[in-house]
Amino acid sequence: MKKVTGNLRSNFRAFDKWLTLSVFLLLVMGTLLVYAATKQWFQTQGLDPQYYLKRHILNIFIGVLLTWGTTLIDYRLLRAYTPILWGLGTLSLLAVLVPGVGSTVNGAKSWIALPGGFQLQPAELAKISVIVGMAMILAEGRGVNSAPTDIDVLRALAIAAIPMLLIILQPDLGEVLIISAAVISIIAISGAPSRWVVGLLLLGVLGSFVAVKSGVIHQYQLKRLQSFVDPTADPQQSGYQLRQSRITIGSGGVLGKGLFNGPQTNGRFVPEQQTDFIFTVAGEELGFLGSGFILLCFGLFFFRAFMIARRTNDLFGRLVCVGVIAWFAFQTFENIGMTMGLMPMTGVPLPFMSYGGSSMFANLIGLGLLQNVHLRSR
Amino acid sequence: MSYNNMVRGRIQKLVLFSFLLLIIFAGRLVQVQAVQAESYTARAQNELMNSSVLLAPRGNITDINGVELARSIAAINVVVDQTMIADPKLTASVVAPILSMKESDLTTLLTGTRRYQIIAKNVAPAVWKDLTSTLQNYNDVALKARGGVAKRIVGFFSERGYIRTYPTGALASTLVGITNDAGDGAAGLEASLNSVLAGTNGKYIYANGAGTIIPGSQQIKTEAKAGTSIRLTIDRDIQWVAQAAIVAAVKSAHAKSGTVIVMDPTTGALIAEASAPTFDPSIKKSISVDALRNPAVQDVYEPGSTGKIITYSAAIEEGKITPTTVLTIPYSLKRGGKSFKDHEKHSTERLTATGALAISSNTGAIQVGETMSNPTLYDYLARYGIGQSTNSHLLGESTGILHPVSAWSRTSAPTIAFGQGYSLTALQATSVFATIANDGVRVTPNIVAGLIDQSGNYSPTKLQSSSRVVSSATAKQIRTMLESVVSANGTAPEAAIPGYRVAGKTGTAMRIDEKCGCYKGYTASFIGFAPADAPKYVVSVTIQDPQGLHWGGSLGGPVFKQVMSFVLQSRHIPPTPTKSVTYPLTESELKKANLAKAQALAKKLASSLAKTTTLVLR
Repeated sequence: MKKVTGNLRSNFRAFDKWLTLSVFLLLVMGTLLVYAATKQWFQTQGLDPQYYLKRHILNIFIGVLLTWGTTLIDYRLLRAYTPILWGLGTLSLLAVLVPGVGSTVNGAKSWIALPGGFQLQPAELAKISVIVGMAMILAEGRGVNSAPTDIDVLRALAIAAIPMLLIILQPDLGEVLIISAAVISIIAISGAPSRWVVGLLLLGVLGSFVAVKSGVIHQYQLKRLQSFVDPTADPQQSGYQLRQSRITIGSGGVLGKGLFNGPQTNGRFVPEQQTDFIFTVAGEELGFLGSGFILLCFGLFFFRAFMIARRTNDLFGRLVCVGVIAWFAFQTFENIGMTMGLMPMTGVPLPFMSYGGSSMFANLIGLGLLQNVHLRSR
Repeated sequence: MSYNNMVRGRIQKLVLFSFLLLIIFAGRLVQVQAVQAESYTARAQNELMNSSVLLAPRGNITDINGVELARSIAAINVVVDQTMIADPKLTASVVAPILSMKESDLTTLLTGTRRYQIIAKNVAPAVWKDLTSTLQNYNDVALKARGGVAKRIVGFFSERGYIRTYPTGALASTLVGITNDAGDGAAGLEASLNSVLAGTNGKYIYANGAGTIIPGSQQIKTEAKAGTSIRLTIDRDIQWVAQAAIVAAVKSAHAKSGTVIVMDPTTGALIAEASAPTFDPSIKKSISVDALRNPAVQDVYEPGSTGKIITYSAAIEEGKITPTTVLTIPYSLKRGGKSFKDHEKHSTERLTATGALAISSNTGAIQVGETMSNPTLYDYLARYGIGQSTNSHLLGESTGILHPVSAWSRTSAPTIAFGQGYSLTALQATSVFATIANDGVRVTPNIVAGLIDQSGNYSPTKLQSSSRVVSSATAKQIRTMLESVVSANGTAPEAAIPGYRVAGKTGTAMRIDEKCGCYKGYTASFIGFAPADAPKYVVSVTIQDPQGLHWGGSLGGPVFKQVMSFVLQSRHIPPTPTKSVTYPLTESELKKANLAKAQALAKKLASSLAKTTTLVLR
C-alpha cells in the first residue's frame, strides 16, 4: 500500500510539468465555461444550475484517476494487453449496433446505456485501441533504424479499418476523421514509404469529400452525420448553427462580456454549447484574450507532446505519442475551426474542455499515455 | 541514420503543420473578435433583441349613469417563433387541444421561418396559463431523456391583448356599433369616435433565447396609453324600453326598419336611440353589413305630415296666419297641373289652421305654404336643419336631401308644404320637434355627455350650439295646436297619456323605394313631446315600409305612448295639473268660442260696470 502511494507521488512529480500545466489550465477553464454555458438556463428552467458543473467535475475526477492509472505500468507492458484492448473496443462498437443495447441519440447509434443513467461512447475507447494496436504492429520486431514493410503497413491498416467501418455504420463522421488523422500520422512517423503517406492522405481527402457531398445531397443523411441537432435550427438553414456560433464568438470582442455574462450564451443561441460549441462560450464571455489563451495552452500542450515523441528512442512509444497527438490535434482544430467557420461541421468535442464523460476519460487516458512515454524515456 | 533523419523530418513537418494551423486559427480569432467584432456584436444584438407591441386598452362606452355598453377586457394573443419549433406536428398535437384548434391548421401555422406568427387571438388568460403549464410539464419529462434539450417544445410567447365586449348585448348595438378583428371601430360610435376610444400602443423590447424570454431583459420603450372612455347621454333603462318597443312594433307591422329617438330638447341630448332590426355584437359572424346600419341617421325618408309643422310655424312666425285663421279645405286641390288630395275623401270644409293640422290636411298645408314665397319656405327648412348634418358624432350620418329653390318645379312648393319632396333622417325630424318644444331654439343633437381619460378625470362635453328658428310665441302656439292631434278628433288619439298633456304629429308619407326610385310603400311616424305646456322630452317613432296598416297614428302612437310614459315616470315628471287647452278646430267652433268669449267679456264688463256705477252712485 505504501509502495503504491510512493509510486503515485513520484509518478506525478516526474510528469512533464508543462504538459500537466497546459492540461490543468484547459480543465479549469473548461469547467468554468461548462458552468457558464448551463447555469443561467438551468436556473430559469427551475432546475439545478450546477447540474452540469457537478457532473463535469466528477468526470474530471474519474479522468484524472484514469491518467494516474495509465501511468502506473510501463507502457511497453501495455503491448501484452493490446489485443484484449482492441478486442474489447471492437466488441463494444459491435454492441452499439445491436438494437436494444445501443441507444440512438440525434440520429446516430453511438452510445451504450449503462445502469445508473450513465452512458458510454465506445468509439472513444476504440480510438485508443486503434492507436496502440497500430503502434504495436508497426514497431514489432524491428529495430529503431528500419522502416516497416508494405505488409506491416497493410496489417496496421487492417487493425484500424475494422473499428473505423463499425463507426461509419453508427454513423459518426467526426470520430472517423479523427481516427483517420491518427492512422495517417502513425504510418508517416513509422517511416513507411512515402507512397503510403501520400496515398492515404489522398484517400482521406477523397473519402471525406464523398462523405460530405453525399450528406449534402441527402439532407437526412447530413443531419445524421452532424450528430447534434439544434433545437432552434431552421431546417431550411443548415448554416444556422455555424452563423450563430460565429456571431457569438465575434460579439465577445477583445475583452469579452465577462464570465457568466454573455447574452448569446445565456440565451442559448448556440445549441450544444456546453459540449461541441464550448469554444463559443469562451469567445463571447472571455473575448479574444481568453480564447487566444486557450489556443496558447493547446499550443504548449502540442509542443510538449511533440518533444516527448521526438525524445524517446522507443519506436512503440513514439508511435503511440504521435497517434495521441494527431488525435488531439485534429479534434482541436476540427472543433475550433468549426466554430469559427474554417472547418465543416462535425460533432466532435473540444479536448479537455467540452462536457462529456466518455470523451473526458479518453482525453485523460491519452494524457496518461503521453506522460507514461515521458516517464519511461528518461 | 537516414531512417532516423527521415522520421525526425516527418515529425518536424507535423509540428510545423500543427503550428501553422494554430497561427491560422489565431489570425481568424483576431479577424472575428477584433476586426469584425463590432459587426458581429451588432448582429448578436439584432438576433437577441425582439420588440413587441404593447397593446393599449380601448376606452369604454357607458351610458349617462356609468353603465357599461362597451368595454375592453384583458386577453392574450398566443405568438410563436416558427424557427424555434423543431417538430410542428408533434407540437401541434400537444398544443391544439388547449387552444381548441384543429391539429392540421395549427401545424400549418407552426411551420415556416417567421419569427412572429400569431396562432391564437384573444384567448382567456386561463388558457394561456394552461398552455404554459402543459408545456412546462411536457418539457420536464422531455429533459429527462438524453438530448432532451432538442425535444422540448419551445417558441411560444404571449402578447397582451384585449377583447371588446358588449355587456348589454343587442340593446344599443346599432348605436354603439362594433370593432373589427384588428380592434378598430368598424361600425356605430365605435367607428365614428374611434380616434377618441383607441389608445396609443406602446412598445417593449426583450431578449430571447432557447424559447424563453431572458429574465430581466424586458424593457418598456414606450408605455401604452389607454384610450379615453366615453359617457353617452343615453339612459340604459329608457334605451331598453325604447328598444323593446320598436323591435315589437317593427315585427308586428312586418316593417323594414324602425327607430325610436328620445331627446331632451333643451340640451339636444339623446336619451335613447333605438332601432330595429338590431344585432347581437357578441356573435360577430351573424352580423350582416345591413344590420350594422343605424337607420336613425343613415336612412333618409320624406317626412310627410310631420313636416307640416315647419310650414305652419313658418307662416305663423311670418304673421301670415294664426292658429285660428279659417281656411277652406277641399278634398282635392290642383297646383302646377297636378291635383293634390287629402288622405280621406271629405266634402269641402271650413276649418281653422289648427283644425287643418289636426286632421293633417294636405290641401290645408298647401294653402298655408302659399302664404309665403318659395325662398322664405326654403329658409325655414334650412333653419330647422333640413339638408345639413346635425354633427351628432353618429357614424355615416346623412344630411338628407333639400334641393335649392332654383331647382324647384311648379309642384315643388306645394309638395314641400305638406312634407314630401325633401328627405331627412329620423334624427333631423326629431330635432324639428325639439325646436318647437324648446321655445323655438334649435339645439344641435348630441350623444356624448363627456369623456373620461385614463386617470378617471371626467370632462363634460361643452354646451351644444343653438340657434333660434322661430319665436317663443310661435313655438307655444304650435305646441297648443299639436295637442289637438292626440285629441279624440285628431289623427293620433292612441298617443295620449292619461294625466299628462301630450302634443305631437303623425306622419304617413309616401316612401321612395331605393330599388325602383319611385314611391312605393310608406313611412309611418309619430313625433311628440310632453308635458305639452313645458316640454321635457321629445320622442319620435319612425317605422319604414310597414305592411298592411300604415297610418302614423295607429303604428307610431302606441309606441310613443309606451316609451314616453316610461320616460315621464322614470324621470319623475309630475302629471300636468292644467287641463289641455286647444284652439277651435272648425269655423263653427271658432264662432261658438268667440261668442262665448264675447258673452263672458260682456258679463265681465257688465259686472265691473255695475260695480263702478254703484261706487259712483254712493
